[in-house]
Parts: sequence; structure tokens; C-alpha cells
Amino acid sequence: MSGTPLVIVRPLLVGAPRVRIPLRPGDRILANLGASVVAGDLLAERVRDPRLVETSSGSAASHPGAWIPAEPARRGTAPAGELLFEHGGRRRIATGPHPDLVAAPAAGRVVAIHPGVELVLQLDGTGIPGTELLGDPGYGRLALLPGDGDGRISLEVAHAGAIVVFPGRADAESLTRARAMGIAGAVVPALAERDRRDVVASEARQRAGLHRLAPFPVLILDGYLRRSLAGPVREILAALAGSEVGLVGGPPMLVTALSSGDLPLPDPDHVRVRGGPEAGREGRFAGLAGPRRVTGGIVVETARILLDDGPEAVVALGDLERFA
Amino acid sequence: MTDAATPARTAGSTPARPAPARRDAFVTLDRGSATCAATVVGRVGRRWRLLAATAVPAPAVKEPDALFELLLDRVRAADPALAADLRLAEPGRIPPTVEAVGSLPAHAVVMAATEVARQRLEADAAAAGWRTTGASAERVDPLETTRLATRPDVTALVVGTSDPPAADERDLVGELVALAAGVAERRPELPVILVGAAAARASEFPLGTEVVAVPRPHGDPALDLRAILAARRAGSADARQALIAATATLAEVLDLRIELLEVGMSGALRARAEPGAEPGAPSRITAVEAPSAALGLVEDDAALDRVEAWATLGLDRARLRDRLAELRLAPWADLGGDGALLRAAALRAALERLVAAAAELDGPPPDLVLLAGGAWSSIPAPAALLVLADALRRPGVVQVALDSARLLAPLGTIEDAVERARLLGELVADALVPIGTLAIARGARAGRHAGHLRLTVGDAPVDLQLAGGRLALVDLPPGQAGAAELDFRNPVDLGVRGKRFVVRATGGLAGMVVDLREVPLRLPERADERRDVLASWEAALWPERDR
Repeated sequence: MSGTPLVIVRPLLVGAPRVRIPLRPGDRILANLGASVVAGDLLAERVRDPRLVETSSGSAASHPGAWIPAEPARRGTAPAGELLFEHGGRRRIATGPHPDLVAAPAAGRVVAIHPGVELVLQLDGTGIPGTELLGDPGYGRLALLPGDGDGRISLEVAHAGAIVVFPGRADAESLTRARAMGIAGAVVPALAERDRRDVVASEARQRAGLHRLAPFPVLILDGYLRRSLAGPVREILAALAGSEVGLVGGPPMLVTALSSGDLPLPDPDHVRVRGGPEAGREGRFAGLAGPRRVTGGIVVETARILLDDGPEAVVALGDLERFA
Repeated sequence: MTDAATPARTAGSTPARPAPARRDAFVTLDRGSATCAATVVGRVGRRWRLLAATAVPAPAVKEPDALFELLLDRVRAADPALAADLRLAEPGRIPPTVEAVGSLPAHAVVMAATEVARQRLEADAAAAGWRTTGASAERVDPLETTRLATRPDVTALVVGTSDPPAADERDLVGELVALAAGVAERRPELPVILVGAAAARASEFPLGTEVVAVPRPHGDPALDLRAILAARRAGSADARQALIAATATLAEVLDLRIELLEVGMSGALRARAEPGAEPGAPSRITAVEAPSAALGLVEDDAALDRVEAWATLGLDRARLRDRLAELRLAPWADLGGDGALLRAAALRAALERLVAAAAELDGPPPDLVLLAGGAWSSIPAPAALLVLADALRRPGVVQVALDSARLLAPLGTIEDAVERARLLGELVADALVPIGTLAIARGARAGRHAGHLRLTVGDAPVDLQLAGGRLALVDLPPGQAGAAELDFRNPVDLGVRGKRFVVRATGGLAGMVVDLREVPLRLPERADERRDVLASWEAALWPERDR
């Protein structure tokens, strides 16, 4: 029996992904349901610091989520905003100053609008899934930094406006520096929890200013521990270098206009070791090796792997992933 | 919490399971969050026997046939004649399957008028297995509440007040319901559970919203609400509900008081079952779920502190947080080496949280502690006994067993209580791996000679001097049992207070362990000293931890 079905499949490409753009109460929706959009088209205005304003119920009936235009009030003008709820003859409206602009990260169609919750886009092309997106969606030309080492070394101003891929080490400092250089976003193999917090905090500080800021999305492809890009992912990103891509968060993925048929796929028996002593190495699946005892004294199911850069190794099934 | 006087399957409205007793063999599958455990069970002679078992990463088992084929291949290779007798010789023919499914993480936003009501509602929802985010009209503003309640991972809204509303709730009920109705307008697919006085306001919600009203005019409102919430969370063949049913059945079959401690990636379960007062009477079971006790869950610094306190890995705090986050992301990976030590630390922390969350189940020690769930299988069985002794400091003597093949949950899904009891009765010896006997005594002074142990098995007594503050280990293999005489110099608490005890010791992979460490356990403040102390205990019961 082939053992490959018992190896975890990591989805490499997702055709025509459906993605959600999160909204908060008070955000003003500009897109229309069913409209076609391209990267950069405005979808919504996002209120930076939403607050609640109480007004008397207007004459026109309304429902939660409806946009209430500005109207004269007893003291000045009641600002425009989104109706949160109505109770006892009073309306609670979510509103706020200094809206940021939410733009489409890629070409597609608006398939659902839920005020104060989300916009859903059906994107054309293909998505390459990650595990988390920090920041708001964004888009730009993809640039692959060389090597597996420290990404800070190869950052340069020529990357301004691009989404750069850090193939090796990335940390909060290098990402903050990238943002300061006008880089539009980043793709990293992994990022430690502390660096994630620092990036999010830095983003929040930037947004506290009055001027509008372009988003700086950071897509994390794997987890928290330092590791290099998986070979098949690297090949796809290399094929996309120089083209326009988007980064989205719901679900987290990099999106491209190319179809999956235009992108390189690995052999079906190609596997990567994601944990254990052989972590980071890749090779070909050569069959199941049965239950084996591992360090620590527990017994796990294992497989034989013909490593690309060495001899055969026996690896726990849980430490393996293949791509599809 | 589930509190049932019969071992009938609760809440989950599970469809009828196949009746494997009329077959030659059947297979089971316990679909957990991290791993899927499968077994092959066949009729050998006149009883059901466990023939093969294994576990593989859960995401690798979209369709379980490949996993069953792997096990069936092993049965065929090990005993072709038996495979032929059981009609398992033909590749591709999978016998009937009995399956339990680990509950998916379910997230409810709890909205209440006051903080007091919120805390009460959140406790009820958590005991029914829900992950909760709470908001009260007193503390959280409506904007934030709406934002929390409309997140995509939220699958239910619980809105509650007292019935009749308390004085401080009366002014807030109307606004609370209006706010909840606003959320329902935005998320029409979200079921809304209205509790207490809010239950009378179902008509204020938009048409099409599923509203469940739970008024509390009389009776035990907490149990009503918990049962409803548990039923809504648990899907068909829910593994935790099935474990509750299986534990109740086991208490009947074995005529023992049983405590079940299950820890997984999506939460944890503590259940206590007692056999009926008379032979044939149904057992009584009480169970509490604790989603916050999920393995490796670190939602704040306090949770990280709890794991760090038990860690024997030489990791700094930031690195430990990353390792735990990685454990949550890929719980099936990195099982060996450091990964096992990390799991042991996370398991202790999870068990502490479970015991604290289910404090209402505290009581005298049961006869048998049953360890279930994939987390316990990620460390060797003797190490599991140490984890139990570390995290549950309860004086007394208990037998400890492990559901290592994870058979209990699938068997617990069998609707027919008689059939379930018959199967569990025949399979119990195969399904439960005896770990040993754990005796925890409180009151022995650390560093002093505490007393003497004499264990008599057959004609060969074993004598051992006991020292306070230490673990005493006696080799007692599975299948053996004997009388252990414990003579202490000073009175200690071993469930009851005294100086001389005679207890029955049953064997297991860890043998008999007499734990004379402090109750509660006090560990050094300094991390390196604490690691050394923990490592010395681990070395005693987990000698292969570094090999």
C-alpha cells in the first residue's frame, strides 16, 4: 500500500480564492455587490478610531448596519456613520474621523457585503496559503531577496513599492526598516511571537498619526520557529518575481493573477521535514517504515525518505509534509 | 457540565452506531485535533480482542481507509489464519467502523447586563465545552461588543440576565437585547441563546435568527443551560460526550469509582463516575469540560507562567512561547526529544487548569484514574503517572490506567447501553493499559525518614524505606497485584489520616509509586533550581527522556 496518503498535505495553490476583507462598525463601504474590481480599487473607508454617537431616531426607518448620513442636531451636526442599534428612541451610531482607505488586493468580484463585519471577494487567479497575515491587505510587485541569511543586508530602496520575500531570517527590526524604506509588504517563512507583537505594535503606532498610511501586510508562511522557505514555495515565488501580487488575511495567502497551471508544482512524492532532527530537509517519500521509538521513549509511525542532500532517513510521519 | 444518572449518551443526538457484536471484526477511529487513533478489533475465541492500534497526524486522515488498511495489513502479516477467520484477509475490505469525532473549537460570545451575570454565564458555557469571550454592558462598550461578536470564528451568541432581572440589570436589559439584535442583523446565521429575563425578548430579534430561549423560573438553571449549550456544541459522535458515556459504563462494568482526565488540543474533560448503589443499578456520572485547559494554550502571560513553572527544557521565556505556539500550530509534529519534554510541561499546566476549572468534582480519591486523549499518549506511560502526581496533589491511593489505543471514545458512541457495556467489559483488559498504583501521602517531613513499605506479591515481599519529600518506586509489572503495608513514623494523610495502612497495589508500567512530596507541591523559585528538581523526578520515572 502506498503510504503517501498518510503524510500531511500542505496546500500549495488555491484556485480562485474567496477572501474576506474585515470591516469594523463605522467603516463606510464604497464597493457595490457584484462589482468587478482590480488591485487598488477602493472598497471601503476604514475609521481609524471609531466612537459611538447617540442621536435621536430619525423619521426614516433603518436597520443595524445601515449608513446614516450626517444631519443637523440640536448642537451642531450629528456626524455620518453606521447604525449600531436603536433603543428607546435613540440611535447609537458608529463613526469617527480620519478614515483610511481599503483597497482591493487583487482583481476579482465583490460577492458579499456585511456592513461592519466584512467584504467578501472572489479573486481571479491563484492563492498561495500562509498561516497568518499581520496588518491590512495590500499589493505590489513581488521581489525575492537573495539567500537564506539575514534579510536586512539585502534590503534596498529599489524595493520601494514592492512586496519582498525574506527567504531566511526575518525579525521585527528588518520588517520595520522595510516599511520605512517604502516597501509595500513582506513575505516571511516564520516569525517569532515577540517579533509579531513588535510588528503589530509598530503598525499601531504608525496608524496613530493623522496622515494616511499605506498598509504594510506581512504574510507568514509557516510558524514561529526560524526555518527557511520550503523548496516548492520558493520555486513558485521565484516564478512570480516581478509580477503584481496581493497579500490577504482571510484566509492568509499571497494571491496572483496567474492560474495554477502556470506555476511550478513539485513531484507528488516530494516531501519536506518540518520537525525533528532532520527539520528543514527535503526529499522523496520512499515508503512507510512502521512504528519506531523516538528520543523520549514514545513510539510513532515513521516513513523512509530519500533526502535530496544525503542518504535515506527515517522520519516520524508527523514531521513530514507534502505539497498539493 | 453533564450530570446524568444513567450512562445513556448525552446531548449529542448521535445516530445509531453499527452493532459490531454480530460481526467478526470492526475498526474504530478516534478523530482528534492532533492525531487520529485507529484500531482493529476482532472476535478471538468467545470475546472481542484488540488486534492492532496506531495513531497518525489528524490532517493526514481525510479518508480513513488508508489508515485502516495499514492496520489490517499488520494483522494479516502477523496472523494470516486469524485474518482469514475474521474475514480480513482480502485487501480493500474494511470492516464496519465505529467513529468518534473530536469536537471542533466552538466559540461563543457571552453578553450580559452585569459583570456578575457575565462571569456566571461564561462559567456555564465553558463547562459545556465552549470557548468564550465575555462582554457586559457594565464594562465593555457596544462598539467593542459588536466587533467581538461579529468575528468569523464566533459560532453562537449567549445573552443573559437573571430572571427576574436584578436591580442593577433592569435598566440595561433593553439596551443589551437591542445590541444583540444588532449583532444578529449583521450575522443572521448566528444562533442566539437568550437566558433569564432576556428569554422573553425573542421577538426583538430579526426574522430568520435562530433564537433559543432558556428562562430560569425554577429548577437548577445552571444544569439546564449547560445541557443545552453542550448539545449545541457537540456534533454527532462527539468524542467528549462519548467519553462521558464510556466512563459511566466502565464504572458499572468494573464496579469502581472512576475519574476520567482527558486533555486534548481543543480542551479538556474531567468526569467522575460512581457505580449504582445496587448491582445492576445505573452508574452516576458528573462531568465538566474546560476549553481553557487545552494543551499548550497560552492566551496570556499567566498561562505562559504556568507552563514555564513545569518546564524542564532550558528555554528562555520568548523561545518557550514560540515552541508552544508551534505546538498549537502543528501538534502532531516534533514528538521526540525536546518535544516530549515540552508536552509534559504543557500537560501539567493543562491538568492544573482542568482540575481548577472542575473544582466542583473534587472529592475523595476514586478507585481508578483513567487518562484519556492524545496528549497523554505523547509521553511514556510512567511519565504520565508522574505528570498526574505533579499536577493533581490529592492524598490517597488510586490505580491509574491509560486509554492508550483511544478505544473509549469510539465505544462510547454506541447507543445501545447493553451492547456498550458488553463490548467495554470484554475489551477493557486490552483497551486500558495499567500504569500502576499511585499513593500520595501528605504530612511526611521532607528529608526525614518517613516510614517503611512492605509489598507482598506472592511469596516474595519487597521492603523499602520511605523518605519524606521523595518518590518511592516499587517495580510491580502489569498483571501483578499485592498488599502494600505502609508504616509511617508520624501520622500522614493518605485519603484518611493514620500511621499504618494496608492498601491493595496493582501493577503497571510504572509499578507502585509512593509520593511523599509536599502537598501542595512547592518548587524552587529560581528557574534553574526548579528545572533540576523536576528533572530529578522525571529521571526516576522517565529514564529514557533524553535517549
